[in-house]
Amino acid sequence: MSTPDNARKPYHSRMTRDWWLQQRYYRLYMLREATVLPLLFFLGCLLYGLYSLQHSEMQWLSFAQFMQQGWVIALNALALLASLYHAKTFFALFPRVMPLAPPLLMVAGQWLASLAVIITLLWLAGVS
Amino acid sequence: MTEYQLRIQRYDPEQDDTPRLQRYTVSGDHTTSVLDALLSLQQQQDPTLALRWSCRMAICGSCGVMVNGIPKLGCKTFLRDYNGVIDIAPLAHFAVEKDLIVDMTPFLAHLSAIQPYLINDKDDKAPHKQTPAQLAKYQQFSNCINCGLCYAACPQFGLNPEFLGPAAITLAQRYNLDSRDNGKASRMSQLNGNNGAWGCTFVGSCSEVCPKQLDPAAAVNQAKVESAKDFIINLFKI
Ligand code: FES
Repeated sequence: MSTPDNARKPYHSRMTRDWWLQQRYYRLYMLREATVLPLLFFLGCLLYGLYSLQHSEMQWLSFAQFMQQGWVIALNALALLASLYHAKTFFALFPRVMPLAPPLLMVAGQWLASLAVIITLLWLAGVS
Repeated sequence: MTEYQLRIQRYDPEQDDTPRLQRYTVSGDHTTSVLDALLSLQQQQDPTLALRWSCRMAICGSCGVMVNGIPKLGCKTFLRDYNGVIDIAPLAHFAVEKDLIVDMTPFLAHLSAIQPYLINDKDDKAPHKQTPAQLAKYQQFSNCINCGLCYAACPQFGLNPEFLGPAAITLAQRYNLDSRDNGKASRMSQLNGNNGAWGCTFVGSCSEVCPKQLDPAAAVNQAKVESAKDFIINLFKI
């Protein structure tokens, strides 16, 4: 006869590799995390540009040519969209981590601050 | 009365090696909850079905199950909100003892690890005074009913059962923010590690499923801020 203790046989389920595909909420989370991938490409471009800038004029011209290719523009546009999406999720989460003001106000403030930074950078770069 | 199709995950430790799915038909109306349906099944069709419940009013926290893959309180979830076959399974990320009953021991161990009580070295027997503003600081995080839905929703707990998890870290925050408590220093050692607040990647699903809207994800990430402060303060301590 089995005693209550050794009659136990708990079943341990395991998470499958595709756990994040099984719920919309998890898919959106993975999309947020995946925004780093196109950003890596952008960072590569940035480093390549800096290297070319200090190397030689020829090198810089070939970098400029590289950047004008359709697929490079497409990937960089994707990186921009991805960062905007990441910013959207980040700005929404931030007021929950540091509740300093009403959430809507904080979200609006963060977008305004980003806009101000972009305008200042454009101004510094001489775009009028 | 409407007929509803349920597909319930069954597991009998004395007979099964892995869970199996069993289909049932129950009739209900717009007031029938998942728990009502399970209980009527148990009473009228299949007395072997094992499940936990008590209050039927979303306060005891014992009736958590996965409904179509999402952790829910059975008594607070209504059949009318579902179409087609409704899948019912025991809470994810816990070991299944029988049918819909899971072993909550890891969850309870995590809760007690963060010392969920007022720690105070003051020896006076006088009552502690607290202003409404001081109460408001932690009140939201004090409404936990220990149902464990957030653990079933948390992929980080699923991947690493040592992760303290949403409810425990929220409870730690609840006591750390309490003006009557002085135990923060001893709780921080739990919160600082990778199995503490930093094990969280802000998936946020814990807050989605929390039946009491505690926003555990916010609490966990506020704990990260506290942990970072704690780290910096300790740098300057000799
Ligand atoms: S039976 Fe108590 S919470 Fe559902």
